[in-house]
Amino acid sequence: MSRATRPSKRPQPPDEVAFPVTPMLDMAFQLLAFFVLTFQVPTTETHIDLYLPASPLALPSESQGRGQAPVARRVDNDLENDIWIRAEANELGDLKTLRLGESTVPDLPALADRLKRYVAIMEDRPLRVRLAADNHLRYEEAARVISICSAAGVAAVRLNDPSAQVGSGTGSIPTPAPNSSN
Amino acid sequence: MSYKRRNSSDNQLSINLTPLLDVVLQLITFFMMLIHFGTKLEGASKVVRLPIAPAALPGSDLGMDRLVVSVDRAGMLLVEERPLEREEGRRWWADQAKRRFEGQEVLGGVDEDLPTHVIIRADKDATYGSVRRVLSDAQERGFANFSLVVHRSKPS
Repeated sequence: MSRATRPSKRPQPPDEVAFPVTPMLDMAFQLLAFFVLTFQVPTTETHIDLYLPASPLALPSESQGRGQAPVARRVDNDLENDIWIRAEANELGDLKTLRLGESTVPDLPALADRLKRYVAIMEDRPLRVRLAADNHLRYEEAARVISICSAAGVAAVRLNDPSAQVGSGTGSIPTPAPNSSN
Repeated sequence: MSYKRRNSSDNQLSINLTPLLDVVLQLITFFMMLIHFGTKLEGASKVVRLPIAPAALPGSDLGMDRLVVSVDRAGMLLVEERPLEREEGRRWWADQAKRRFEGQEVLGGVDEDLPTHVIIRADKDATYGSVRRVLSDAQERGFANFSLVVHRSKPS
């Protein structure tokens, strides 16, 4: 065998292993497109929960083809825990005056402070608020009052007819108007 | 000359895709971290501009049975973006409540309050009276659990 045709004894460099990046990149782009298309700006929406027990009209009756009316209904025995908030509106529907019980509250932060104090005083007993606002009060103002009550730790907020009489002091039991939402 | 013997494959240019892949994977990670499904409450409509109530705390989880209605700035009840007059609205509440009470009967336990969660998206310029009337109409038919939808801060 001639010298020219003899195989070399020197070790050959290993073949380069090529990692196929292109399919991975394709898939990554598809995933990216999916996330970009489904991306939503995080919403600032939240909800204020209200528990408003049904009024007697709500009871299912046989004449309407519904179920038998339950005999016992939930009765508010501890109405003395209710505090009235009276919100008066000006002609534009903005909040004009705010009263907690019989005392006037200068603004909403002051209302929050007082409610927090009441909640602390009540300790384990639930504090409930009855909001009696003028009908033409803008809902945004009412929602602020309700949210402040909720954030202060009030157990329940009830929306009352503005004609409902605000009792003298927080311990009184006012008679709600017949069409009130309690 | 030596260059004539050079293999043609040595001249092939290859783009380095690794940094590009790194960036794309980082973007995917970013979007995956930010993705959220179903956190926006249903029934959103451009007709209704929600009020801003910074003190509002995130509410509890909403139940399976939900009913979403809106109140526009004129105080009209909107059901699936269809405005209903007061009487029409009352009939609608009665119909919804009747269906649910019938469902409860089938399941064998009629409660005085329906467990349905009523989500109310009221316009910030609606009046308190109109929202209270909607609540009252629903309440008269047995709905007791309500959620008022607000923005915690100014929406972007």
